[in-house]
Amino acid sequence: MKKIQEKRSWAEPYKMKMVELLKMTNTSQRMKAIKEAGFNTFLLKSEDVYIDLLTDSGTNSMSDRQWGAFMTGDEAYAGSKSFYKFEHAIQSYYGYKYIIPTHQGRAAENILSKILIKKGDIIPGNMYFTTTRLHQELAGGIFSDIIIDEAHDPYNEFLFKGNVDLNKLDALVKKFGAHKIPYISLATNVNLAGGQPISMQNIKELREYTSHYNIRIIHDMTRVAENAYFIQQREAGYHHKKIKEIVKEICSYTDGATMSAKKDALVNIGGFLATNDWDVFEEARNLVVVYEGLHTYGGLAGRDMEAIAIGIKESLDDNHQKARIGQVEYLGHKMLEYNIPIVKPIGGHGIFVDAKAFLPHLKQDEFPAQTLTAEMYIDSGVRTMERGIVSAGRNSNGDHYYPKLELVRFTIPRRVYTQAHMDVIAESAARVYAKRHKIRGLTMVYEPKYLRFFQAKFERIKPPL
Amino acid sequence: MKKERTLTEPFKIKIVEPLRITTESYRQQQLVQAGYNPFLLHSEDVFIDLLTDSGTGAMSDHQWAGMLIGDESYAGSKSFFHLQRIVQELSGMPFVLPTHQGRAAERILYSIIGGKGKVFISNTHFDTTRANIEYTGAIAIDIVYPQAKDPEIDLPFKGNIDLDQLLELIEEYRPQNIAAIIMTITNNSVGGQPVSMSNIKAVRNICNQYSIMLVIDGCRIAENAYFIKHREIEYQDKSYYEIAKEILGLADAFIMSAKKDGMVNIGGLLTVKNEELAILCKNLLIISEGFTTYGGLSGRDMEAIAIGLTEVFDPDYLHYRIKSIAYLGEHLKAKGIPVVWPIGGHAVYVDAKKLYPHIPINEFPGQALVCNLYRKGGIRCVEVGSVMFGTYDEQMNLIPAQNELVRLAIPRRVYTQSHIDYVLDIFDEILEDKEQSKGFKIVYEPPVLRHFTALFDHIQ
Repeated sequence: MKKIQEKRSWAEPYKMKMVELLKMTNTSQRMKAIKEAGFNTFLLKSEDVYIDLLTDSGTNSMSDRQWGAFMTGDEAYAGSKSFYKFEHAIQSYYGYKYIIPTHQGRAAENILSKILIKKGDIIPGNMYFTTTRLHQELAGGIFSDIIIDEAHDPYNEFLFKGNVDLNKLDALVKKFGAHKIPYISLATNVNLAGGQPISMQNIKELREYTSHYNIRIIHDMTRVAENAYFIQQREAGYHHKKIKEIVKEICSYTDGATMSAKKDALVNIGGFLATNDWDVFEEARNLVVVYEGLHTYGGLAGRDMEAIAIGIKESLDDNHQKARIGQVEYLGHKMLEYNIPIVKPIGGHGIFVDAKAFLPHLKQDEFPAQTLTAEMYIDSGVRTMERGIVSAGRNSNGDHYYPKLELVRFTIPRRVYTQAHMDVIAESAARVYAKRHKIRGLTMVYEPKYLRFFQAKFERIKPPL
Repeated sequence: MKKERTLTEPFKIKIVEPLRITTESYRQQQLVQAGYNPFLLHSEDVFIDLLTDSGTGAMSDHQWAGMLIGDESYAGSKSFFHLQRIVQELSGMPFVLPTHQGRAAERILYSIIGGKGKVFISNTHFDTTRANIEYTGAIAIDIVYPQAKDPEIDLPFKGNIDLDQLLELIEEYRPQNIAAIIMTITNNSVGGQPVSMSNIKAVRNICNQYSIMLVIDGCRIAENAYFIKHREIEYQDKSYYEIAKEILGLADAFIMSAKKDGMVNIGGLLTVKNEELAILCKNLLIISEGFTTYGGLSGRDMEAIAIGLTEVFDPDYLHYRIKSIAYLGEHLKAKGIPVVWPIGGHAVYVDAKKLYPHIPINEFPGQALVCNLYRKGGIRCVEVGSVMFGTYDEQMNLIPAQNELVRLAIPRRVYTQSHIDYVLDIFDEILEDKEQSKGFKIVYEPPVLRHFTALFDHIQ
């Protein structure tokens, strides 16, 4: 009886109102498609993909309320009604004062970095994210990782692997001086650590420390609601709080934020920059016109702002997050039952499979994670993403970086796939795992100069004669 | 005026957006609160919004259907391939990069080919184009024919680039320093005036002679094609699509804000011929916009652009579009309102200096007209004069713009003829008490692009 209740506990608080038909393919069709794509899942045509776990960014399905609001979107260039709804939602749910819409999260990062960073500044952060770090560097800043060491160990089961190590921060302040640190880039639910949360306790301590030195905290809040869910489940004193309250409390300890609304906020496009500082706002308002669009649309259609306003509200519903993370955990547990090596604890937005442990017979320069993404696709049409040696690129000597983590990310879009889809994924992973010894690695036959993971091409290593 | 047959609209209304009717005293209050700057009005207080034709059009039922089948995959989206196919066919260029809107496409291309010491020459750079070019450290030079600056001269292609001056400038700055010649079609800043095919061909020849890149900034390319067909005799038998294709065949790169002739509310495009340049552009695209198969747009937005780009070349649509702008312009002229002549493709420009000769330039006659139109009729439009383009000398005296215009931009497929007749009626009221109109002073202005957020007050 208890078991049945557990299983029911994450049943989705919605039903399907519109569906998108999928093409069913067979193994030989998929073999042909992956060969054409050079064994790179980024280069597959989406119509050849059955279950698309490439990313949870912008791949969500919207609710009927969001679609309804889509129709009432106000497309006026200036002073759009939809902007005021959008602004109001962010102010009331997150608590920030001044809001600038942008076409997506990286655009907010671009504007913020340009305003706050001077050449030679240090930007401490709880693990880098590709675009965030890039915009900091382009503005003349240097990123410095201050996440706790546990975050870099895939099997360490610490519950808050997104936490900041205050000693690392203190060392930076001592070495460079607080005046060289314009802000701390604080991510909630750290993506590259595997969707791992930061604790409220840690955020409070960080706020206390930074207040002392007058350093801003800028919140990379794209998955804040997922982080809040983990705080509610894991942190003492928060079991009876609503996700809505926890999110607002997190934001209250920070001075501003950048957000890609394509994750938590349940839309397909959009983002914003938020700040409590009038001067930053005024400067951002001038810059946004140059890069994005007038400050009451920021490069978004009116309807997109409507959809974000509603998406934010829906994302803070306890039942929604319970189902969202429940689904990710369901897939993770299923994979664990099949003995598939995954990063633990199970994160908020996806399952990260350890390709080194999965394919121990492959050397890292035979691209085990890339190989696994291709094998998953061939087996079942599931598209996943490599986060290992291919993504890490080459150093200045021209050698591969050989990162410690060689992972395959199974990212789950919100409200899109069903439990049956999760079962298919896990069963497919199990099937590939069962024949893992027969899997041959890859060689890279085309390598672009920059961001090679997007467009590199591979071939299977020939079997020994 | 000769009685013309009523303009036939090649569509009917499928979805409406209700409007709020407000009173003059309510609107006066709103104006005061907005610091007499219509950009700061809330759109729900506006009855007829002629602020811009950019992103304000109504999509068709086909486009909305496309919105529902938009493929939101991050990589390899079906909607991208659809858009790519349509744009490759139109432009004849192999590399198609979607962007969130036109200014992002400009920023990507111009930051690669621009930089300190480089010079861009154009028939007229649009304000965001100029901002993007100058940001890289390059110089932007506008050269229209001198007659184009006179609002009254009736010429078929007032948007053309001055070819003699172009050659002089190339010699002066040396060909190797010219980053590109940009042809903006239609030429928005001089009144939505078209550019002739022969002018573009002549520029192409000059580009070949000196090995200079030719960029078409073509957010209103279909409207421009209309004027070419009807004003350049050798094109009278070609379709609008064929004309647009021929224009783009002359270019090395094509930039488009799809919010105009793409018939959508959001989106832009960059297409280039050269593969090496395409690779550089794609790298920047990923950094600032999004992955190459979505570029900062949702899948459904790419679907809508692909469909919009086929609808816009429909001859019945373009006829309706150009004629409906002319309807407003010709009737205003008949009333004695001074308008920029001939009427352009997307807007009617009223000459406020001539309408309000008693208001000195440094009291912004254009701003006065903009505020009067809102107060009397709830009509929102934009000043294109010394508020937008004026600068200051060292003593902080205003250096005025070329002209003091007010732009009435018509969104595509949004307003009916009775809305336009209503606008005409409001102009009767404007004429009645034009002598009582008062000018403004600026009480707050930001350092750049002040027209968006400046605050005004009446001079006591």
